[in-house]
Formats: sequence, C-alpha cells, structure tokens
Amino acid sequence: MEKASSRLRVLALLVALMFIALSTRLWFLQVLATQRFNKEAINNSARLVYSDPLRGQIYDAQGRTLVVNQESLEVRITPDQLGDKGEAVVGRVAELADVPIRDIVSKLQDQRFLPSQAIPVAEFVPKEVGFFIAEHRDQFPGVEVVPTAVRSYPFGRLAAHVLGWTGLIDAAQYADLQKQGYGPNDIVGKSGLEAVYEQYLRGERGKQKLIVNADGETIQALGKIEPTPGDDLQLSLDARVQRLAEKALAEGMVRARSYHDAIGNSLRANAGAVVVLDANTGGVVAMASNPGFDPSWYVHGLTPQQNKYLNTNVNVGASNNRATQLSYTPGSTFKPITGLAAVKEGFASLSGSYPCEGEYTHPNDTSGTKFYNWTSVNLGYMSIARALEVSCDTVFDAFGSDFYFKWAQNPLGDNGDLLERDLHEWGFESPTGVDLSSETQGLVPDPGWAATRPDLFDNGAWIPGGDILTMIGSGYVQVTPLQLAQAYAAIANGGHLCRPHIADQIVAPDGSVAKRIEDHCDHTIPYTPQQLSYIRSALRSVVASGTAQCAFAGFPTSQIAVAGKTGTAERDSSKQDTSWFASMVGPDPEHPAYVIVTMVEQGGFGGQTAAPITRQVIDALYPNVTDASRPSCITEDR
Amino acid sequence: MDVVAGRAFADERRPIRHVDWLLLTITLGLSVVGLFLLYSATNQTLRQDGLDPFTRVSKQAFTIGLGLVVLIVMSSVDYRFFKVYAGFIYLGSLLALVLVRIPGIGATDTTGTAQRWFAFGGVQITPSEFCKLALIVMLAAVLSEIRTPEPTLADLVKMLGLAAVPLVLVFLQPDIGTSIGIAAIVVGMLIVAGTRLKHLLILSAVGVVLIGLVFQTGAIEDYQRARLVAFLDQPNASADVRYNLDQSLIAVGSGGLTGKGYLNGTQTNLDYVPEQHTDFIFTVAGEEFGFLGAIALLALFALLLWRSIRIAWMAKDPFGTYVAAGIASMFAIQMFVNIGMVIGIMPITGIPLPFLSYGGTSILVSFAGIGMLESIHMRRFT
Repeated sequence: MEKASSRLRVLALLVALMFIALSTRLWFLQVLATQRFNKEAINNSARLVYSDPLRGQIYDAQGRTLVVNQESLEVRITPDQLGDKGEAVVGRVAELADVPIRDIVSKLQDQRFLPSQAIPVAEFVPKEVGFFIAEHRDQFPGVEVVPTAVRSYPFGRLAAHVLGWTGLIDAAQYADLQKQGYGPNDIVGKSGLEAVYEQYLRGERGKQKLIVNADGETIQALGKIEPTPGDDLQLSLDARVQRLAEKALAEGMVRARSYHDAIGNSLRANAGAVVVLDANTGGVVAMASNPGFDPSWYVHGLTPQQNKYLNTNVNVGASNNRATQLSYTPGSTFKPITGLAAVKEGFASLSGSYPCEGEYTHPNDTSGTKFYNWTSVNLGYMSIARALEVSCDTVFDAFGSDFYFKWAQNPLGDNGDLLERDLHEWGFESPTGVDLSSETQGLVPDPGWAATRPDLFDNGAWIPGGDILTMIGSGYVQVTPLQLAQAYAAIANGGHLCRPHIADQIVAPDGSVAKRIEDHCDHTIPYTPQQLSYIRSALRSVVASGTAQCAFAGFPTSQIAVAGKTGTAERDSSKQDTSWFASMVGPDPEHPAYVIVTMVEQGGFGGQTAAPITRQVIDALYPNVTDASRPSCITEDR
Repeated sequence: MDVVAGRAFADERRPIRHVDWLLLTITLGLSVVGLFLLYSATNQTLRQDGLDPFTRVSKQAFTIGLGLVVLIVMSSVDYRFFKVYAGFIYLGSLLALVLVRIPGIGATDTTGTAQRWFAFGGVQITPSEFCKLALIVMLAAVLSEIRTPEPTLADLVKMLGLAAVPLVLVFLQPDIGTSIGIAAIVVGMLIVAGTRLKHLLILSAVGVVLIGLVFQTGAIEDYQRARLVAFLDQPNASADVRYNLDQSLIAVGSGGLTGKGYLNGTQTNLDYVPEQHTDFIFTVAGEEFGFLGAIALLALFALLLWRSIRIAWMAKDPFGTYVAAGIASMFAIQMFVNIGMVIGIMPITGIPLPFLSYGGTSILVSFAGIGMLESIHMRRFT
C-alpha cells in the first residue's frame, strides 16, 4: 500500500485546500467585513413605526373654530410600487373610489413628489373600498387605504388665504425637514398660517420600535411613545368681521361692475382685498382676498380645473392673498405719507399753502413733460390738509421736484434718494413680517433701481418724474394693502409702526398658553404727534367734505369718527384703475381703534368702489351703531 | 496475565478492541452540535405556530439514535462482505433510483419541481443518498481487482460507465447537489487508485463540456439555472435569487469574531434565512458563535476527515482503502459545497451538511458511512 499512501496524501492535500478556502472566506466575512453585515442585520429586523399626531386646531379671537380635524379614509398610491400593471391598477382605484382616472394620473405624475412617496389620491372613501382593496391585495400593488385625520373648515371659504392649506410634503421640503424627524408621507402646512406655524401645529410623532421577522410579523414591541398633539392657534382675527368684510368686498365688486370707466367700458373689478388692523397692536381683525376658494379643495386634492383657477389664471390665480402676496400702485392713498416726508425734509410746512394748478412742469424742464391734476381748473393756493381733502396732485408734484433737486446734491451719497429713505421708515419695500407665507415687499423706485431698468429709464438715469410720481403714489411705486394698513396704523396710533400679526397666542393641548405672539410696535416713525394729528384731521375732512364725501353720506361720524384717503391708481393702458380707500375709524377721533384698507383691482375711483366697501366694513365693526343711509353719489377723483 | 501466546494474539486482534473511538466521538460531537444549532434555527418558528419548540430537535435526535443503530450494525458487519455483494447493492440502488421516478411510487415535493424520495408513512427516504454508498462499494470492488500498477484507460471507462448511470438518474430528478457529490466521489477514488494526471485532466475537460451541454440543451430546471447564473454573475442576479444568499451572508457576516451568543442571532431567530434548518444550518453557527465558532466546527470536520483518510491508509486491503477514501471524499465534498454555498463561494445547489442538517436520510447515510469506516478500522488486523 505504499503507492496508495502517497495518493492518499494527494486526497488529504485537496481536503486541506478546501479548509483553507473556507477559513479564508470566513475570515473575510466575519472579521474584515462584519460591520457592514452587522448593520444589514440590524436594518433587517428593527423597524421604527411612527404614528401621526393630531394637528393643532385654529380658533378666531372669540374662540370660534376655523380649522378642525376630520377623520378620513384615504387611498394612497406609491408610484414606485405599482409595477408594470400600473395603468390597470389606477383604473381599478379610480372606479372603486369614484375619482376620474386623469385626476389620479396627474397627481401621481406631479413632479414635486418622489415616486417613492405614498401619494393621497382619494379622501373620505367608504369603508367598503378599504375592505375590498385589503381582500384583493394582488390586484392593488402599491395601493394602501389609511385612516387619517384631514383638515376640515366649518366656515367653508372663510379666510381661506389666511388659514392656508396643508398637503403631502414635497421632495424639496422633505430634503429640508427630514432632519427634524419628518417622514416622506407626512402632511405639512403649505401656505398661510398652516405653513408659518407648522412647528407648533404639527405636534410630535409617536414612535415605537418593533422587532419583526422575515414575514414582517411583529415579534416584540419596545418602548412605545404616544404622539403629542399639536398646539392650537388662537387668532386676533374675528370670524364675524372677516365674514362681513368678505361679503362687503364681494358685493362692492359686483356693484363696481355696473359702473363704467372713462372710455365707457364696464369696470372689471376682478379682484380685491380688505385689511382690518387693530391700530394700536397690529393685530389683524380681518383680511379678505377676492377671488377666494374653498381650502377643502386641497384636502381632496386639486382637480386640473381647480389648479388652473387657483394658480394659473390670467389675472393672477385665486390662491394669491391680495393683501400680502401681490403689490399695487397705491395712488393718492400715498399722499398723507409723502406729504409728511416733504414736511420732514423742509419742502413743505403744515402751515403753508401751495398752488394747485391744472398742470405741473418740473422747473427748467424743457422736454415738455407735463403732470396733470385730475381737473384742469386752477384751484389756487391751498394747505396740505386741503390738498389731501381734494386730492390735488400738482401740490405734491412740486414737492417731488424738491426731492429731485435734493437728490441731485447727493446728500446721502451712493446715489441715495431721500424720498425712498423716508418711505422705508414707514415700512415700504420690506415685508411687514406678518405671520403669513410668501409675503411680497413691493417697490419704492430709486436711482439705483432705475439704473437696472434702462427699459424704463433712458440710460438708466434717474429723472425728476421718478420722485414726482412717487410723491402722488403713481408711477412705479408698489405697495401691498397690508403695508399701507401698517403705515396708516402708525398715523392712527401716534407713530408706532406695528408688525401685523394674525395669530394671538399658541395654546398647548392642555389649554395653557404655550406662546403669546407679542405685539411689535417698538419701531417709530420720525413725526411729531402734532404732525400726525394734523393728517388725521385732514383725512376726516376727506370723509366729511372731500373725495369720500359721497361714499359716507349720512354716516353717523359723530359716533364713529372716520378718517380716510381715496386712491385711484392708473395702471398700464390695458387695465382699469385700481380703487383704494385707506382709513382709520373709532369712537375717539384722536385715537382711532382700527385701520381699514380696501383695494379693488380695476375698480375705478377710490370714492366709487373702495370707500363704500369700507363703509360696510365699518358697519360690521360697530354693529350697535345705526348706519341707515347708503352712499349717495360718486366722487370722481384721481 | 497467564495466557497462551496464540490465543492472546488472536484476542488482541479481535475487531471490538480496535474501534476508532476518536472518530466515534467526533461523529457524536457533530451530531450534538447539530441538535443545538437546529434548536436555535427552529424553536421560534415552531413556537409561533403554536407547536412544541423541540419538535424538530426530538425528531432529529430520534434519527441520530437510529443512525447509531445503523452505525453499530454496519461496523459489526465485515466490510469485505460488501465486496462480495457489490453488484447486487449497486443494481439495487439503481432500481430504487428508477422507481422513485415513477409517479405513485416516488413522492414529489410540494412545489412539484423535483421527485426525489419515497414516503413511508411520515418518513421520507431519499434513494440518491444511499446510492452514493452503493456506488462507493461498487467502484471499490472494481478498483481493488485491478492488477496493473495503475488503472488502464479501459478500467477508467468502465468506472465512469458505472458512475454515469446513477449520476444521470440523480441529475434527472433533478438533484444537482447529489450529482456533484457522486462526481467528487469518483474523482477522489480515482486519485487514490493512482489514475494518471493526464487521464484526470481529460476527465475534467469532458466533465466541463458535458456541463456546458446540459445548460445548452435546457435539461436543467429554470430555478437551477437562475441559481447558477446568480452565483456566476452576482451583481446582476434578480432580487429573489439573491435573497437566499444575501440573508445567509448577513447572518454569517454579522456574527463577527465571537458571535451574538447562542439563541441571540437575529437573522436566525427572526427567520430571515430560508431553509436554515436544512441546507443553511451552518449560518446558525456563523451568526451565534462567530468566526471562532465556525472555525471550531470546521476543525471537527477536519478531524473527521483526517480519521477517515487515516483509516483508508491503515486498511488491511485495497478494497478497504478505496471504500474509506470514497467515504472521505463524500464527506469532504458535502462539507465543502454546503459551507461554500452558505458563505458565497459555491453556487446554491441544495446539499446537506453531514451530521448537522435536518433530514433523515442524510443522517442515516452519514452514520452508515462512519459504520463502514469503523468496520474497516476494526478489521485492519484480521
């Protein structure tokens, strides 16, 4: 057997090689690469299961519920999991949930979401739909029916722009919020208060660690943390005033459409806004924006028609809050503010008098540019108060020239414009900081801005007309109704520029106040109480005997003092004038309680459309004051 | 002791005095380790189904007991007896392989893909396992009759012919794992028989060509092809096919150096590794006892193979040497292919790990193999 023993050695050698191969591989798997496998093993078995908290509710100043939660059975589809029979699955879901197929398809194809997200496609489906889908899992890959709480609005369309809406977190938001513990299928505030107070309203997710086996069955449940409901929001907004302001605005717009513009076309009055501020705190009592919408559309998911109406309408979609998200030429409502600026800079005096001619030419201007008053009649010399009362443009035009000359001396350096600086003190060209999303800042034109717009200014050079037009609230200056309201509130309260706010306090689930939204009125405007009082008095004359006289005919101003300024702002030739009325009201003429700013796009004269709407809002604010009369005539002003 | 010299000499040569106790200890050691691993692999699932967590362990323990009886019987029988009846044993095993293919006699697994066993009451008997031993005996009988210093080409062809019949029958079942086992046994025995390297190389080449042909003609099932493709092209394998291997690698890899501790393996306890109690039993050792445990288990197999090859070397006659070498080859290839597939260096073929995998026939055949080794060891002086 000598031969055999050497051959057995060959066999033994082969066996030894086997052991070497196995040991080497085991060394690699279990020693060198063990961390990776260990992580995978943990991922395999440990699952965190989250439970959604109940979102906080929203109440008005009187405790009326504006936004509540409602239970809904929701159908969600995860596009990634649909497989190759996606069309058939969507078809089945559409039929079952009674939703048009193309609505579902457009939701699933929405680029804002990731295909790995479970996208809600139908709300409030009957229980039977849930049972059917559960029983026919193989026919519905990627489809789940989930009981959930969705937003519900007891007052329907009321204050929709302010309340905002919620929706499925989109891919961009998820990238931001993931670190704060948000999941890919979370509902978040998208707009309005819902977006701004997201961190309070949301609450905290509950979570539980589960150990699951290969079939997904739970073997062990560890450390359950119940979800914490979100905080509630109590607003300074009053639902009653809000409702009546919305009604007044809508009715006023309808009325306006029966009037004609200068060339005989019916006014379009396609949109408008009303802002009611507490003059002393900046608390928003009402904020109406028309056209409106029903926020529950967002709960059900927008249909293509709704989406078009809200977002892509030619007149700028209905989802825009016209009080904060769009800016407009303020027209003559700007004059009290620019007039004060002229006084501050020494171009005008409250005791002086100034010529109100039919037309105005900048001194030494040979270009032939003329600025016309609303009437060609020379009204003679008048005080600032009278100029406000009759809304004389040419008085203010001359102050504009003074601002231009001052700019030419360049006292601020860096090409700075004095008028712009003075207007910044009133908060223009900056967001007010109101607790709403996507606020726009408007525009105060200045030499620096002109340099960037050679399409509007020859060689981008600043011209006298820049200051002259801003002076009368015309040209390129743009403000939001809320900015104007904030400025008027400063006139009303003696010089405090208060940051407007809609929420008053944040209330914890146990009823305690978690956070009070403090008033921010520290910022003051550089005018004396006497100067502001002078303006208030002048604006009362506007109502008593000026451009708003007709609109307030018969109003019991002895009980409720009303001071205001009409505005009729020209837009480009294709659009009709913007109708404005900015006002302050209250029993004490020297201490107005509220500021009301009304704006109607393509609404004609301020005294014609905006002022009567404001009157209706004042009636709403003071239900115990009898205002039996109606506007008696139409004042034409500019 | 006052004894007659011749008598004393005869007594010293009595087979019972030459049992290889170490081999026996290793065999029992592996079996007991197997029971512990099996408990870990099955107790949670059984508990979940509301069954006694020891159900599988008791059944396996019973099989091991039966295996011990088989071992004792096989070792009591003089192995040379098998040489006499080698032809009958061989033909009998072929008959069983044919019968198992006949519907109504052979049983099919629930998926209907393979027809591999006879069902006697609740017991499944897999003839392909027994046919390995039958083939070893047959080949050993033929090889031991060769009088030339090394097998001639004619001998080689004869050997291959004998092996080809069961190999093809097993392959058609289809049972690729056992086919590989049979091929390895033949190669192992041919090496020991002194086959020239040239012939072995030609044989390997023919084997490779045949495997290629099998793939081309589609004689194997789709799932087997998928498994092999998955092995050869891992990154592109489908998720389903990869799952088994992935979970197996995670289990072994996450065990680390010292393991997660007995009954603490998450992959094991939570049922992530498919077929864990049968073909993938090694993952339990890998996950719960780590690298050190896995190496210890390999060491037990190394000892077993060392004793087997030692018996081949010590055997009194060429038949014993060949039988022992065949059995050693059988254990070696099963161990290597099984653990190799678990840790991803061999394709997944469905081959049990001797003494550890749950399953009656595999245990009984392994014990029978040890019994034959003992028989050869015990009778090396008689």
